[in-house]
Amino acid sequence: MVKKKSSRYVILVLIILASFVSVFPFLWMVSTSFMSEDVIFALPVRIFPNKLFKAGMWDNYKTVISKYSFGLYTWNSFVISFLAALGQIFVCPMASFAFAKMRFRGRRWIYALLLMTLMIPVQVIIIPEYYLMMKLGWINSFLPLIVPSFLSGALGTFMFISVFEAIPSAMFDAAVIDGASAYKILWRVYFPQATASVATLFIIAFMNNWNDLLRPLLYLNKARLYTVTIGLTRFQSEYTSSWALLLTASVLSILPLIIVYIFCQRYIIENQMSAGVKG
Amino acid sequence: MAQKQKYKWHSWATPWILLFPTLVGLFVFRLIPIVSSFVLSFSDWNLIRDPVFNGFQNYRELFSDPDFWKIFGNTLKITLGYVAGSMVFGLLLALLVNNKIKGMNFFRAAIYMPVITSSVAVGIVWLRILGPKYGIVDFILKKIGVTAPYWLQDTNLALWTVTFVQVWKMAGYYMILFLAGLQSINKDVLEASVVDGATPVQRLFRVTLPMLSPTTFFVFTVAIMDAFKNFELIYAMTKGGPQNATNTLVYSVYVNAFSYFRVGYAETIAWVLMAVVGGLTIVNFYVKKYWAQPLD
Repeated sequence: MVKKKSSRYVILVLIILASFVSVFPFLWMVSTSFMSEDVIFALPVRIFPNKLFKAGMWDNYKTVISKYSFGLYTWNSFVISFLAALGQIFVCPMASFAFAKMRFRGRRWIYALLLMTLMIPVQVIIIPEYYLMMKLGWINSFLPLIVPSFLSGALGTFMFISVFEAIPSAMFDAAVIDGASAYKILWRVYFPQATASVATLFIIAFMNNWNDLLRPLLYLNKARLYTVTIGLTRFQSEYTSSWALLLTASVLSILPLIIVYIFCQRYIIENQMSAGVKG
Repeated sequence: MAQKQKYKWHSWATPWILLFPTLVGLFVFRLIPIVSSFVLSFSDWNLIRDPVFNGFQNYRELFSDPDFWKIFGNTLKITLGYVAGSMVFGLLLALLVNNKIKGMNFFRAAIYMPVITSSVAVGIVWLRILGPKYGIVDFILKKIGVTAPYWLQDTNLALWTVTFVQVWKMAGYYMILFLAGLQSINKDVLEASVVDGATPVQRLFRVTLPMLSPTTFFVFTVAIMDAFKNFELIYAMTKGGPQNATNTLVYSVYVNAFSYFRVGYAETIAWVLMAVVGGLTIVNFYVKKYWAQPLD
């Protein structure tokens, strides 16, 4: 398509503007984490930090990690998100394989119910879930945040159904003729074929668990069990005026995900795009 | 049945073994809680002693409470603002990043970044950006001679501020969904319209947008479901205040259940939410049937 040069520049300028608006809050967050409190409450408003590459540059980080144990919160978030994501990459392919390759009674019903659960807001189910966890004695442990991930994940299941259906049936036929069991076909043939999707689901599940607030808020009431998101909200309610420390803690809470994102953004965005085409 | 003649490569139990965890999860963490929360919405309960069933009393109290109608209205407003905002910005951004420009992947990744960060961190940094006097927005507005309003303290404005931040956070997500739709549009049709002498504006409104309608509908459905996911941002930014100005159904379920321990009453609110979601799903179904037809 022929396009005028000037319109290309307009588009480029708009794209740069949009990217800037999307990224600026994070840049300012990082910048503020290298400021001292008195600079934050001084006019004119500063964009650039006053302590960068100067003495005491890491003071805010030291305070937040040692005095307010954000190191521990990060570790807790990591353990929970890692185990929950691990559960997803095993349980979802299992269910998807049954849906994609097998015919059994009630298949359509189970499929429809699973699809329906995608639309239910979490607030509708959270109270009975909380009661169950209370009766199981699981409050103030990581179990309520991990165990459900080992038992069903509708989004991942639907993702893998389409992945498995796209795998050429010649491979399936060959495996059946060789006399491989259904489990062998799943774990030795289909699962290895879908490594990119396994990685994508792992990353998405990890991120969702890392960013979750409601469940950690309900199930973890002891400071030593806090995740970064609760740590951040507790910190916020206690030290409302300390922007430097609050934003330093915010940087720490999003940094691990940003690093993962920088390396894996292609997979995350491609997965999102394939979901869009299917719709 | 053709199935019967096939070589049996698995026993009848295999699919059930594979589905076992999913079925346990589906029943224990989804279906049973949905039914119990409905039953409990007719009770007075505080999680500790046994629930006392009191018929429609919760519903009567709820519907005669002006605060509830305020919260209900807020939920509709935030949904409307979120769906409209995220679809408009999502589409505009998708049209922008659908051009072939060097380094486009970088720009897409940058615009998508807020989607993957936690709402809590996003809420906190926007509190700083929109903060009175020392926030960057107020500072710039003052420079150009405009007195900034109280973004989050003004009861008429706070809800829209929160909606804006939610749209800002999620716009990249809808951009990617729209982009996928744009890239699956048949190139021949677009080229034919160029040959026929269509202007870019005509091409957008007469070719691209009509051919995008299945995607638009999909995005619409997703946006409605996401519009209710505002608990975290409200928790981080306003806690429902000032004076319930940013309180929504999802937030008030949490507050009633876990701050006031009026659990039965919270379930009543949850089921009003459920009714709203269910109603929207039915509307969606009919819209899909009569409007969003693929045009190929």
